[in-house]
Amino acid sequence: MTSDRLLTAFTWTFLAFMFAPLALMIVASFNDVSPPSVTDWRGFTFKWYEFFWMDEARLRADPVLRTLDRERFYGCMGNSVQVAAVVVPLALVLGLAGAVMLTRWQSRANGLLWWVLLSPMLAPGVILGLSALVFWNRLGVDAGLFTIMMAQVTFVAGYPMLMLMARLQRQPPELEEAALDLGAGPFRVFRRITLPYLAPALASAAVICALASVENYNTTMFAKGGACTFATEIGAMARNANGHPPVINAVGTIIILVTVAFALAGALTRKREARV
Amino acid sequence: MRGQDVVLDGVEITYPNGFRAVERTDLTIAAGEFFSILGPSGCGKTTLLRAVSGFVTPSSGRVLIGGADQAGKGPNARPTALIFQNLALFPLMSVRDNVAFGLEARGVARRERHARAEELLALVALADQADKKPTELSGGQRQRVAIARALAVEPAVLLLDEPLSALDLKLRSHMRAELRAIQKQTGVTFIYITHDQGEALTMSDRVAVMNKGRIEQVGTGDAIYSAPETAFAATFVGEVNRIAGRVVAVEPEYARVETPLGVFRARNPRGLAVGAVAWLFVRPEAMQIGLDENAIPATLQRRDLEGPFVALHFSAGTEAGMGQALSLHRTNMGGIEVIGTEMRLGFRAADALVLPEGALAETGQELAAQ
Ligand SMILES: Nc1ncnc2c1ncn2[C@@H]1O[C@H](COP(=O)(O)OP(=O)(O)OP(=O)(O)O)[C@@H](O)[C@H]1O
Ligand SMILES: [Mg+2]
Repeated sequence: MTSDRLLTAFTWTFLAFMFAPLALMIVASFNDVSPPSVTDWRGFTFKWYEFFWMDEARLRADPVLRTLDRERFYGCMGNSVQVAAVVVPLALVLGLAGAVMLTRWQSRANGLLWWVLLSPMLAPGVILGLSALVFWNRLGVDAGLFTIMMAQVTFVAGYPMLMLMARLQRQPPELEEAALDLGAGPFRVFRRITLPYLAPALASAAVICALASVENYNTTMFAKGGACTFATEIGAMARNANGHPPVINAVGTIIILVTVAFALAGALTRKREARV
Repeated sequence: MRGQDVVLDGVEITYPNGFRAVERTDLTIAAGEFFSILGPSGCGKTTLLRAVSGFVTPSSGRVLIGGADQAGKGPNARPTALIFQNLALFPLMSVRDNVAFGLEARGVARRERHARAEELLALVALADQADKKPTELSGGQRQRVAIARALAVEPAVLLLDEPLSALDLKLRSHMRAELRAIQKQTGVTFIYITHDQGEALTMSDRVAVMNKGRIEQVGTGDAIYSAPETAFAATFVGEVNRIAGRVVAVEPEYARVETPLGVFRARNPRGLAVGAVAWLFVRPEAMQIGLDENAIPATLQRRDLEGPFVALHFSAGTEAGMGQALSLHRTNMGGIEVIGTEMRLGFRAADALVLPEGALAETGQELAAQ
């Protein structure tokens, strides 16, 4: 009995630890005060959200918002989109190749290969960023969006690999064998049988890769040179001398909403699939 | 479509972990034959079939189809089609695309292959189900899709790995007849794997009985049932009474065996010599009540009405219940025997067999029933 109660108490404490800061952040994103606060309530406002689209005149009129460089922020966000546009497909292709190799190619080197392919996910991001920087500099490539992409791909590719492996291991081997037996070559078997089977997993892996790429800070920070991304720019804003502007809280709230929306969509499609 | 012959020439299969799944096997299956491989679970049937279809490479020996050595040819280059134990229909494709897949792989144009798929679906009475997904079909319908899909590539040899084991009894007997009809109609060589003796005996031209990676006997169903060559074949196929003993005298084609129940005379097809440890086998339907030849006094323990026949279970030997179990089948035309009655059983020497001792299919019936 007591152990039950202890467990319940622990669970709630843990949840509070996890979600209280998020709740505070969300509440502060609607408070008309900078730096953000929940105790010092100065009235409800949407302006920290509206910052992103309000007209120039209103922007100039606000003492806090006027100090922020909106154009630069847009530029950095655009960079993030570009980086993700390269990182996601590249990571999917690499992850797919790794997953197929590890599940279909029964080799003694598989254990080693698994660690090699996944070690970037475990390695400190700083090291990934720096090593990409050093490596590409040696080849005459200056730090910038390209080095960010290369550095991110090394660890982002791990996510699709793990997700696709899990799915491939659940596919009955007889399906591919049956296709082969009916005269299909390995390429056709892959395109007509394996790939369609992987499609849902590929879609969710793409979302996770995109999120991982856009929100990545530490690896990007060390590989970026003079360039900026969404995450590094948020980081820069947070280091504002007057305390970080509540605009960051607004962005954080939106990120939470987007993540929850994707998680819900994923859960729903999985439910639908389970019914078939 | 035309069947081709399959020859296994000294085929031996060892898995990478060192396990010898199939012992050295020589086997010739004629073109257009319905050939069954019958054996208990784990005896190597699937392994043998996969060696013919090309998924497993024999560690020694050759597989020839239509006279051509298949060494170095993968499953997609052999004139075989395999129907998997779990059917392995492509879940994301329509029934039509499933059936047309083999033609698609051969580069047949879309309209043509769909037309051919629909012909085959009509052959298996599924013409109106072409647009469904396999999951929307019943077990028997899925079964027939798998057959149509395999026939679409016009194989010379169709390999079937216990394709009916997932179906209920009624559907299974229906599909047996259907498979047999399709085989006759197409002339394709069928190699049919099963651990169900009824299936093997009713459908096949010839049956191979397999145990522990070894083919023990090949022959027609009648030959295997009435003249099994090994203790395993005798016990795995059909019910049989067996009594352990030792050969004490031989005469041409016959031998006398001394057992705890007395000395009996029976056929000696393997030519056992005096002194050999042996099993005496008698089918229950060969046992007769009141026959003087090879007489055994026995007590009736149980009477099972099986419908067309009655199975009588006896205990022979001194202490009742501890003695040798014997069973007797008689047509369901007599009266009703009283349990506990002492009777004299007997059997004709020509209906009994003496075979060398060897592995028995201890639970053959139970396994087959699974
Ligand atoms: N890939 C493998 N590696 C090692 N041993 C294997 C492998 N596949 C099967 N075996 C072993 O080989 C033996 C024969 O297997 P097989 O699948 O051919 O049996 P089967 O006669 O088809 O049985 P069932 O009726 O249960 O399907 C079994 O003992 C099995 O454990
Ligand atoms: Mg099997």
